[in-house]
Amino acid sequence: MDLHRRVQSQTSSTSTATPSKHAFETRVADVKSPKSDINALILDYLMMEGYPKAAEKFQKEANLKPRQEDPTINARQQIQHAIHVGDIQKAISDLNELDPGILDSDPHLHFSLLRLQLIELIRNARGYDPSAAINFAQEKLAPRAASNEQFLKELEKTMALLIFPADKLQPDLAALLHSDLRRNTAAQVNEVVLQRHTERREAAIRQLVRMRAWAEASCRSKKRNLPDRIELGLNGDDNGHDPMVTT
Amino acid sequence: MTNPNPFPRRMSSFASANNGSRPVRSAGFSHLLNPSPDSGSHGSGASSHTGAPFSSLDAGAAHLGNAPHGLDEGRGSHRTSGADLPSFSRAFDMFTSKEPLLAGLNTTYSGVGSSASVSKTGFLSPSYLRGSGYLGKLAEQHKAKLMADRETTMSKGPSGTVFAGNTGNTESRSVTLHTKLPSGIHRGVALNLIERPPASAEFEDAVSPLPTRWNSDDKDHTVEVFGDGYEVKYTGSKGSEHEAGAIRADNPMPMQCGVYYFEVMVFSKKREDNIIAIGFETRKAQLSRFPGWEGESWAYHGNDGKIFASGSNSGRSYGPTYGAGDTVGCLVNFRTNQVLFTKNGEELEIAFKDPSFRDPTKSFYPAVGLKRPGDHIWVNFGQIPFQYDIDGYMKKQQKMVTDKIRSTDTANLAPPLNDTELIQQLVLQFLQHDGYVGTARAFAEEIHMEKQALNMDADVPVEGVNIKDDEDANNRQQIRRAILEGDIDQALIYTNQFYPKVLEENGQVYFRLRCRKFIEMIRREAEMNSSLQEAGVKAKSTSQGRHHTGNDTQRTYSQNPGGEDEMMTEGEEEMMDTEEDGSELRTGDPEDETMAMRAAGVSELCQDALEYGQELRDEFKNDPSHEVSKHLNEIFALMAYPNPLEVKEVAHLLDGKGRVAVAEELNSAILTSLGKSSRAALENLYAQTTVLLEDLRKDGGDGAFVTIQNILDDIPKAQVN
Repeated sequence: MDLHRRVQSQTSSTSTATPSKHAFETRVADVKSPKSDINALILDYLMMEGYPKAAEKFQKEANLKPRQEDPTINARQQIQHAIHVGDIQKAISDLNELDPGILDSDPHLHFSLLRLQLIELIRNARGYDPSAAINFAQEKLAPRAASNEQFLKELEKTMALLIFPADKLQPDLAALLHSDLRRNTAAQVNEVVLQRHTERREAAIRQLVRMRAWAEASCRSKKRNLPDRIELGLNGDDNGHDPMVTT
Repeated sequence: MTNPNPFPRRMSSFASANNGSRPVRSAGFSHLLNPSPDSGSHGSGASSHTGAPFSSLDAGAAHLGNAPHGLDEGRGSHRTSGADLPSFSRAFDMFTSKEPLLAGLNTTYSGVGSSASVSKTGFLSPSYLRGSGYLGKLAEQHKAKLMADRETTMSKGPSGTVFAGNTGNTESRSVTLHTKLPSGIHRGVALNLIERPPASAEFEDAVSPLPTRWNSDDKDHTVEVFGDGYEVKYTGSKGSEHEAGAIRADNPMPMQCGVYYFEVMVFSKKREDNIIAIGFETRKAQLSRFPGWEGESWAYHGNDGKIFASGSNSGRSYGPTYGAGDTVGCLVNFRTNQVLFTKNGEELEIAFKDPSFRDPTKSFYPAVGLKRPGDHIWVNFGQIPFQYDIDGYMKKQQKMVTDKIRSTDTANLAPPLNDTELIQQLVLQFLQHDGYVGTARAFAEEIHMEKQALNMDADVPVEGVNIKDDEDANNRQQIRRAILEGDIDQALIYTNQFYPKVLEENGQVYFRLRCRKFIEMIRREAEMNSSLQEAGVKAKSTSQGRHHTGNDTQRTYSQNPGGEDEMMTEGEEEMMDTEEDGSELRTGDPEDETMAMRAAGVSELCQDALEYGQELRDEFKNDPSHEVSKHLNEIFALMAYPNPLEVKEVAHLLDGKGRVAVAEELNSAILTSLGKSSRAALENLYAQTTVLLEDLRKDGGDGAFVTIQNILDDIPKAQVN
């Protein structure tokens, strides 16, 4: 058909020279993965998940027309950053500034943030006077927890952090102190803001990645003929492709 | 009319489908189709067509006079059963408008937002399947077939042989290039051949077509097909209890589409008299018997409201009876192995559930059985909007699948990465791989900042994201930049400097670059021309005179009748003239110097493009590849248009997207020459998903309801310049 495809088939025909290539891999090599689609996915991701500098660069380097300006992108990044560093107070006030109704409209989100704030107070109070944390819990969290069983459980669990020494925590308590909770809470905030401003909750690339995982699992459960492992090639594990990125 | 809005809500889209393509006609229909509480608009709508203010009902009947055969019957019944009209007058619209409607629907598949269902090349795209992987594949097949047909016709004609005959000649540059490519050219030809007739591998991939009409070769002798193949009448005599006349569609219901739906409208004379059976069956079922009475056949019978499955003689009570004026739909859900029927747009309960509906060795055809003289039906295989909200049903099915996907765990894709880390890696690796150096750096910094923020322990240093200072990435980025800016010469220089072998080894890419340069020249000229025109300059001669030669333009601006060569002839000498022309012009037109200079600019550009085109043709004239000559013809034809940017048939050739395509082809070629994968991991993931979904789609299961395109459609458009 078009020349692009032909180039693709040429490269695939050279690589099919390796005898062990599975039929699935050959088909994959023949299928198009249009750059315009990939570029759209990348830009969407950078904008949705709050990487404004990279998004701006990418629009220039890939010669993409700027998407409709997202006025929340910088604020979203700031809020996420505040949560990442544990400054929940700032995150809440920034969030209120960006979207005054947001916390009232979403009690779960509000509770998540307040609980994280409590955790940060407990973390900072380790070895010192915990009264600030206790006051905060009584004042801000207890009234909310009274009306919601799930909130109540979460609060009880969080307060247990005050009692057990940090090195003797059960895994589910230790998880509260792990950075993943900050990251997840930040992501949760970001999603809610996006939902309210763009009607979309998450970047399209997340759906694509899940679709890939789902499609493979479904094919395997139907006993379709697949290679034992379908490599993404993330670490240059095909064609001697060097890992370009180390983290 | 007592009810101001007697029509099903979905009809308005029907009217809008017609709007635009056939203004006069659609005005005539709009009063029929567009429910409007304002009776005045009925009148005006009708009068624009017929000259008299008909009510929608009368207008429907008025059309019948010149309708095709079979319709006189309908006319009679129309009058007798005029009361239950929502569905019926709708059925009439189809009748009366059938001819102009189908002829007028020239929207092709992919027409987003259009509800036209049959393209002018006869491609059927039922609304509920649009955007599905199945229909996409079918459309591809259809297009490929059209192309193949067209090429066959063309190659028989004299015009197709212009470049093909020149293989004996030699010309230095192209030969050197191509001799270094031992099998390159032949490879191109071979691929062409493979792509035409479906080779075995592609055949396996091919999807079966949709039912489009009743099959007049697959019917009982007591029924006749009329019109375009949608209409069936019983022509036999009143037979015994056990006899009936059945007919099947031309193609079986393809399970790859996940859900299949069709509707049958009953036109028989008298309601109480007719006996109709609507359903589906394999070809094992006898055609002299009602669907449902036979093995491997399933149907809903109108006279008693019973359903019959595979030869059960007594049937089972199911729904209301139906007859003249009713529309009955049959819905097969291959995902759930369920079948249900609809009556006049209302969904009835599940009728059948049978895993054999997904048996790949069986083919189920839409079928209808008629029994009484005068029994008469018309089928909608999706060529017009359905009465039942099948689109809504389909959306619900899709949502069930997308919800499943939403809850999928991605931990197995690239352990130990969680999904957030995985996506960061995919993005970063793509940016590096494709040479978006600046973006990769900015992104890495932002990730690093994120990691630092998340670091709980001040004593543990955060590992940086090291972007290797990749010289290749920089080089490739420079090359890409040049192409994206339209500076092909610069890109060629860079490429030869950084990767001297790549162009030699990739004749196709080299060819595309050279062609792109020509396109850029035409583009610049066209852009200048339109800015000149905007500036009010009398550029009339430019817009009329420039055919295959640049002479007229040149004469107008330079008063120099030199350089008379046709574009397709060699003309090395007049290259020299260009500069003279320019200078002469400047003195010749003193009063309006700036305009003249700009005009001269255009003329020069045109001249340059002409010369370059000749050079290009000389270089590639010995290339036997059909693609090459075809593409050359295509781009040379651009010179025939005064402003190709405004001619939609050719404007796509000048589109900025073409730059992206060329840039990516070159980038892939460079990566391959460096021994690197031509695809980044994210592209692998994309392609793998495509293939996996194709596999899942085959049995009509969950995979039939989702595509990658569905995901991409959620992204607000970011267009390439």
